[in-house]
Amino acid sequence: MTATIIVTGAGGVGKTTIAAAMAVKAARAGLRTLVVTVDPARRLATALGVDDLGDEPQPHKDEPALWAAMLDASASWRAVAERHADPEVATRLAENEFFLAASEHFPASQSYAAADQAVTFVQARAWDLVVVDTPPSGGGIDFFTAPAQMADLVGGRLLRWITGGPLPGRRFFYDRAGRPMLRLADSLLGSDLLERVAEFLLDLRTTYDGVAQRGREIENVMRASSIVVVTTADPAPVREAVRFYRELPQIASTPEAVIFNRALPDSWMGVKAPAAASAEMRRLAEMWSAETQRQHDTRAEFSARHGAHIATVPWSATPPNDFVSLAELMDKASDVPWDRLGVEPT
Amino acid sequence: MLDKRLVIVSGKGGVGKSAVSAGLALLAQRQGLRVLAVEMGSAGGLSAHFSTGSLDFKPREVKPGLHAMHMVRSKALLEYLSLQLRLPGMGRFGAFARAFDALATAAPAIREIITIGKVLWEVKEDRWDLVVADAPPTGQIGSYLRAPLSISELVPTGRIRQQSEWMQETLSNPDVTQLVLVNLPEELPTTETLDTMDWLGRQHLVADPLVLTNRVLPELSDTSAQRGRVGEMALLHRSLWSEQQDWLDRVDDKLRIPYMFGLFTPGEVAARMSDELDQLR
Repeated sequence: MTATIIVTGAGGVGKTTIAAAMAVKAARAGLRTLVVTVDPARRLATALGVDDLGDEPQPHKDEPALWAAMLDASASWRAVAERHADPEVATRLAENEFFLAASEHFPASQSYAAADQAVTFVQARAWDLVVVDTPPSGGGIDFFTAPAQMADLVGGRLLRWITGGPLPGRRFFYDRAGRPMLRLADSLLGSDLLERVAEFLLDLRTTYDGVAQRGREIENVMRASSIVVVTTADPAPVREAVRFYRELPQIASTPEAVIFNRALPDSWMGVKAPAAASAEMRRLAEMWSAETQRQHDTRAEFSARHGAHIATVPWSATPPNDFVSLAELMDKASDVPWDRLGVEPT
Repeated sequence: MLDKRLVIVSGKGGVGKSAVSAGLALLAQRQGLRVLAVEMGSAGGLSAHFSTGSLDFKPREVKPGLHAMHMVRSKALLEYLSLQLRLPGMGRFGAFARAFDALATAAPAIREIITIGKVLWEVKEDRWDLVVADAPPTGQIGSYLRAPLSISELVPTGRIRQQSEWMQETLSNPDVTQLVLVNLPEELPTTETLDTMDWLGRQHLVADPLVLTNRVLPELSDTSAQRGRVGEMALLHRSLWSEQQDWLDRVDDKLRIPYMFGLFTPGEVAARMSDELDQLR
């Protein structure tokens, strides 16, 4: 049985670092652990030993229980086409200009590819624990809705909207004299754009059965996973974290914990510099104690409003950039519910 | 920035784009300009800073002289079809609008031209002295700025193509449009800012962007040893400050906004941001 932890949260809060540190902690506790990461900072990639590797999991050179894989989310739609379409259609799709544009810009496609790949690792049953860092595109929650969105997209919803009726055959698009809507679209967009898009959508539709079935598998793994939300105490990421607590129970499952990164120690609240200290030092104490108070109150409010389990990771000046400092990060963390995440404390 | 007609604010997620947009809009409003602030990202990002509840597609006056709106693509499309293309009776064309929206998902430049187009139509209006767009993050901003050009490449003829040409001119005119990239003195935002600058430099879609670095810590001149908690604070402050210098050195930023300590609400942050921007003028 492979346990799964999905680490999610707004961009820029240290989600990738915390996912990596959690994996290091689990590996050191004796679990064969794989961390699946998307677009890590270079120093972090180096610390994990994935800076020049593809999406194949690799064992860490200093910690054999720790494996890491870095996903290339941009290769996403090509993989969908190759897996779920006939070879001939897959080739045609890969060369289609709209296919390329859609794969770059449909945010759910990157999330879908990441989820698909992560679930493949979970299903391989080669690890005790898989820690999944979610891609930043589409605002986080996208990762959980991506399977449904993808199936919806390739399932012909777009085609039905364009044609307004049941799923059409190819001939439909060449017979537009009697269809004012298509004539109107032509006059706006120019000659053959609609046809080219429709060709693409008809090809894409042949992948539907495969994508829909795979989507259900992905959703099942997500529902069985533990979700951890990472945030800082700043208003914007907190608003995002609130959204996860509101929406994830319906989509996947209730998050196990929210980890407040860059936390300041509660002992700094109300601290004043001695009267003999310089004006600058008095001001320093004022600023940081106010900041600590704000963080404390933000966490308390989050816990009271959402019944969330709150954990903290202290603010360190240099982000962890080697294996040792990654390992230390979780030793300095407080209240991470390791038992509920399937990781026994050491 | 205040003498332009359009300021587009972008940056990596989490750097404070909405706070900068709100601060800028408030500053312009205080100078007596008629301002429209456009929330292009997720709902609530910008509106929280005005403390006035959620915004609609139709601009609403949130302070005297300052209107704000939330971008809704389907509504922008309907308005575009009925007002700009003067298609009669768009109500009856609801099905068409849905189909068009679906098409836009598959041909993304169309999706983006609808929303950036709405912003540009507002710039063209005489109603506003300044439009401030709280724009999508740097990861997506390229496809918005490039949308008019992409349309020209994608659509050989047709009315949308003709309009994409003036849109491109408006975006690239340095007297009209200013792109602001908000950055943080940290690794990932700085890398993304530099990548974006590099891409923009090759594309010539907009005039030189202005980089604004947010959350910059002040240097401590008092180097005396401190004891206890204050000593811990000084230690963290000095090491954070020194880490920030590494990243500040790599970007040619024109504006720096200090770290705001102990502020709770987005409204407080926006008011302070507006004061800081005022001091930089």
